[in-house]
Amino acid sequence: MRRLLGILAIVAAAVLLLEVSPGGAAPGVPPPAAADDTIAIIVNQANSIDDLSTKDLKIVFLGERSHWPNGRRITLVMMDPGLSERKVILRDVCHMTEPEFSRHFLQGLFTGEVFVSPKTLSTATGVRKFVFNVPGAIGYLRASDVDGTVKVIKVNGRRLEDSEYPLKIEARAAK
Amino acid sequence: MSDERQNAGGIEKTGSARLWSALSGMVTRHSSSLLLFMVFCVVVGVGIFMMGDLHTAAEQVQRMYAGSVQGLRRIGELQYEAQETRRATLYALTTNNSNLQVEYADQSRGADRLVREGISQYLLEARTPSEVEVGKRLQRDWEAYLRVRDEVLAEILEGSIKEAVDLDLSGGVPSFDRVRQDLEEVKRLYDQQASEQLTVVDTSSRKSVIRLMGVLCLTLLFASASVWAIQRSKMMSAMKLAKLQMEFVASVSHELRTPLAVICASAQNIADGVVEEKEQLAKYGSVIRHHSNQLTELVNQILQFASTHEGRNRYVMRPLRVADIVSAVMANTRVVAEQAGFVVEEHLGTDLPPVVGDFSAVCQCLQNLVVNAVKYGGHHHRRIAIRAFTGLRDVDHGEEMRISVEDHGIGIDSSELRQIFEPFYRSPAVTAAQIHGTGLGLPLAKSIAEAMGGSISVVSKLGMGSRFTLHLPLAKALETETVGTERVAQI
Repeated sequence: MRRLLGILAIVAAAVLLLEVSPGGAAPGVPPPAAADDTIAIIVNQANSIDDLSTKDLKIVFLGERSHWPNGRRITLVMMDPGLSERKVILRDVCHMTEPEFSRHFLQGLFTGEVFVSPKTLSTATGVRKFVFNVPGAIGYLRASDVDGTVKVIKVNGRRLEDSEYPLKIEARAAK
Repeated sequence: MSDERQNAGGIEKTGSARLWSALSGMVTRHSSSLLLFMVFCVVVGVGIFMMGDLHTAAEQVQRMYAGSVQGLRRIGELQYEAQETRRATLYALTTNNSNLQVEYADQSRGADRLVREGISQYLLEARTPSEVEVGKRLQRDWEAYLRVRDEVLAEILEGSIKEAVDLDLSGGVPSFDRVRQDLEEVKRLYDQQASEQLTVVDTSSRKSVIRLMGVLCLTLLFASASVWAIQRSKMMSAMKLAKLQMEFVASVSHELRTPLAVICASAQNIADGVVEEKEQLAKYGSVIRHHSNQLTELVNQILQFASTHEGRNRYVMRPLRVADIVSAVMANTRVVAEQAGFVVEEHLGTDLPPVVGDFSAVCQCLQNLVVNAVKYGGHHHRRIAIRAFTGLRDVDHGEEMRISVEDHGIGIDSSELRQIFEPFYRSPAVTAAQIHGTGLGLPLAKSIAEAMGGSISVVSKLGMGSRFTLHLPLAKALETETVGTERVAQI
């Protein structure tokens, strides 16, 4: 039984890796030009959360928390693998690589340690509309893609415009 | 003496009186034309009224069409967009692709926005309380459905398909049914409104037809009455003219017969040898000459009136001295006046300015007035006064010459003052008094006065006498200096 579970985990991890690799940024290919290199964490306007630490964000984005304090179920919204916004979240919030992240959810779902499976959307507009429609959704966008339909929360008490705001696309992330 | 005054030549003291006189004269002369013009105006008015009525009816039909068709189209669009809102939500159930689900949610919200706008527009245009009530209910029910729809969309996007289906069945379906009923109610109201408008248009159309028929009947009646009035007026005029002509013929026959009888009798007596003595023969000759002259005078007067009336006379207009005119008239009428036992007095002002006119015509005119004064001067106070003086004609024309002939005879009744200047008119009183005449003296004098650019006015009182005044224009300074300058006026 344990062998079977192990094989299944390996096959799933391989499938996830295959899904990730085609969309990944190829070396030498410049990332999409960003008007703003800051990544905003967005939630639904009805969500009462205003501020989250990077530690809380990690718990949320790794699916280790299932509900918001108001009782609403948390829905994770991620962008397609390989996009720079996703890389920043994996690097600065989850402290993981793409394969580690995939493996985490695969294992977590099997073991029951992960309560939330992330929804993957391909465009910033899609992410914004998803968060707008789902009261418990949380996602991320470049600051230039944010509009009034969603709510931007502070990270570690820092606003987007603060210089100490922690989530920024850096050169190494783009690469 | 001055109780009654008739102005026969169109000269008035005030502008309003002049205007009134001109208007009344014009109306009298052109009564038939005016009546026809009135008929034309009435027909035009009826035409305008009919066009206005048709225009109103057309507007009502257009309003009905616009209200019904556009209303029904709007309801159709509302129903479609409401269905689209729900359809897009249900499509989101059919896929687990988050991108597609978001797209369907977006479509649903787009359709929802159109429905909201449609409802707001309906509420803005709602006029009756029932429309407002239904509109508000629709708005309320639509908001309730949207709340459920948002929850369903959230569940779908979260991946909770079963919960989404349960929520839609328990809340979405009943809410949407209520919306559908509201839309049906709105549609029913539109149908009802269209039906009411159709009734209004139908009623209006019937009223319009009735009005039209009424107006046409009235117009027909008015036109018939006008034609009848015109015919009657013409007939009355013809009858009056015929009567006057008959009277004229009778009068002239009488005037002709008397001197002819005298002439015939005198001639017969001479032919039969009844008269042999030289003195008697001279007397008979004098009688024959007198009556021949009378006949000649009568014929001349008739011919002169006829030519004046037909406008064939040519007058030589030149400056004339009033004293010359009065002297000539006095000389011409002296015999007549003396034979009738009248004394004619002259009262001419000093330094009288010259007048403009044809000498013989003016003399003829004044002579007619003097002869009339002799004829109707009565038997008691046999005195005739001729006065000449200047007076103010009006502000525009300045001064004029007035030559009046005043007697103390039988006078003229106020009711006859307007008629005495009509051709062939003879007062019943003078006819009864066996005073001979043709009824042409005053009309002829009036025609001559008007041809000279003047007029004749009369002031009279029954039993007290009359004063006829000939008004003549003064010669201008240039004409006065060049006495003898002539100009021809064809009247």
